Amino acid sequence: MSKTKENKGISRRNFIALAGGAAGAVALASMGLPLGWAENSPEIDVEALDLEKISTEVLVIGSGMAGLFAAVKAHDAGAKVMMVSKGRLGSSGQTPFAKGIFAYDPDTEKLSIDEFVAQVSRSALGSNNVAYTKQMAEHSLDRVKELESWGFFDSAIYNKSFRKPIEERNIPVQERIVVTHLIKEDEKIVGAAGFSIDKQKVIIYEAKSVILCTGAGGFKPNGFPIGDLTHDGTIMAYNIGAKVTGKEWNDGHPGRAENAAACYDGWGNMFEQKPGTVSIEVHHDLGVDMNYKAYVSGNSVKMGHPGEANDNAITGGPYTPAEFKRENVERKPGPDSEGGRPPRGEGKPPGGGKPPKEGGGPPGMGGNVVGGSSAGMAIHKSEGLVPINDQCESNIPGLFAAGDALGSYMSGAIYTQIGSSLAGSAVQGGVAGEAAARYSKGVKNVEISDSKIEAIQEEILAPLKREAGYSPAWVTQTLQGIMIPNFVLYIKKESLMKGALAYIEELRDHHMGKMCASNLHELRLVHETANMIISAEMKLKASLMRKESRCSHYRLDYPEMDDENWQAWINIFKGEDGTMQFEKQPFGQWPNQDIVNV
Amino acid sequence: MAIESINGCIGCEECIKSCPTDVIRLDPKTKKAVITFPEDCQICHLCRLYCPVDAITLTPEKTIPVIVSWG
Repeated sequence: MSKTKENKGISRRNFIALAGGAAGAVALASMGLPLGWAENSPEIDVEALDLEKISTEVLVIGSGMAGLFAAVKAHDAGAKVMMVSKGRLGSSGQTPFAKGIFAYDPDTEKLSIDEFVAQVSRSALGSNNVAYTKQMAEHSLDRVKELESWGFFDSAIYNKSFRKPIEERNIPVQERIVVTHLIKEDEKIVGAAGFSIDKQKVIIYEAKSVILCTGAGGFKPNGFPIGDLTHDGTIMAYNIGAKVTGKEWNDGHPGRAENAAACYDGWGNMFEQKPGTVSIEVHHDLGVDMNYKAYVSGNSVKMGHPGEANDNAITGGPYTPAEFKRENVERKPGPDSEGGRPPRGEGKPPGGGKPPKEGGGPPGMGGNVVGGSSAGMAIHKSEGLVPINDQCESNIPGLFAAGDALGSYMSGAIYTQIGSSLAGSAVQGGVAGEAAARYSKGVKNVEISDSKIEAIQEEILAPLKREAGYSPAWVTQTLQGIMIPNFVLYIKKESLMKGALAYIEELRDHHMGKMCASNLHELRLVHETANMIISAEMKLKASLMRKESRCSHYRLDYPEMDDENWQAWINIFKGEDGTMQFEKQPFGQWPNQDIVNV
Repeated sequence: MAIESINGCIGCEECIKSCPTDVIRLDPKTKKAVITFPEDCQICHLCRLYCPVDAITLTPEKTIPVIVSWG
């Protein structure tokens, strides 16, 4: 343990002196502010870490809405299930902050499901996968009724209602475990690996199938509650050969200029509310239109919808279909968020109870509004693993994904149906759970070789063993400085994306493998930061490749939609030489070129 | 500050478990929750919402560490 104290590495203080760092920098270090390269003194004995092996049939990674239903439905389909989460059941990812859930009730809706799907497709400009759009609508009411029976609509915080079905089924849940690796043998998934942030142990999970319910991610931006979402599932899956998609699309959630770091100040009224249901209301929202306004005319911008009266002065910018411009759409009153929007007057608990008492307008978004609060995140369910069918299955046998971890294009590349984000996670979790249980019946557990375990353990713990290195906080800040400006991923043009890419490739090639951690909290940050770097590379390269503008992807140098060349999704995968490869998959087709039927 | 103080902690660990970004830890000696990694607080208030005894105070301000020199 004292080994590291005897390191010959340059001490933090000496290095600052050598680098000409002023006394001010020393003061910053003593305040706990991140420095770049410095000596690393682990607070724990890395050599004494335990190794634990656990075996299950279906491993669910993630404990938000998708994970809940994945675990419950896989169990109910007869599989032995285990859930593992970086956070806590019902209190991690974006689930705790989503308050509106769409439920298609055939008894009250005027539109048929097919008419609804057609309306979403028109708003999505062809970018949605109609099988997943329809599946979400068809299953939504059943999932909402189950949630109601567990008490979901009775509290603003979700852990208790999520625990009910999990405890009734005795499904084991491991919380505060950072899963860093998926494990593949003979081209099939055989498990995963990670570490506890509380107990000094690495855990190897042997599983017949794995369902990623890991959400999507961002760049730990300010003002939106995605600080724990760093594309972990997507990058782990990419690393073992899964195809991923959707990296060029952009979420355009705004934040507040005042106290920009406070998620709660922007969205607090929402966070305090009990959830409720919402009915059909299809928009074309929260792409990059507000960011375009801010880019052209300067911040701040009024929060509003495309085509709203106050943006008449701005010409050009992202295209909005006429049908979805404000003057042509009957909108429920008040400002809108995407799917997580809390229910308004129309939001009633299912079963016809009273509207939620707290049902005031979302989201308390007063003051000046600024862009970039969700930087690094795409439209819900547009980025993630490429599904090979409507069963949430990836191109790797036994590996499934659901919710924001699956690039299902349920909504398309723009926000369409309000509240469908949460509904889609519930629905896809259920579908993936049943599919994984079915798959698991036909395969045997494969023992993971000791040499593979040893190699993975080494990769997990390497940052603790480094005698010196970059702090993950510093690397993350550097990444944020490159990726969050509005002229990089929001309002795109080739020269600046290429410039940003050069910086990101430097972080990938030089800094990613040199980050250090002195404790398990920092070890988590190191792995998260690495995932963000690879995701940034994907986002820049996919955005460079898509030479058109559509939905939430807007390029100043290619401002028009190009239907001739770009009625296609971009899939990303790791080539045999380890480099990032890209391919087009036509809209409306599965990867094997079968037509998507509904 | 972001999460500012915890006063009157009963050691139930609800805030520790419900924090998505691992800001709060249990002091092994006092068995009370301690603000340990405030720089990672995203000011989402989940800790406060889960706290059964209303012990947690948050402020909306946060000092964002500047990008200091690389060494």
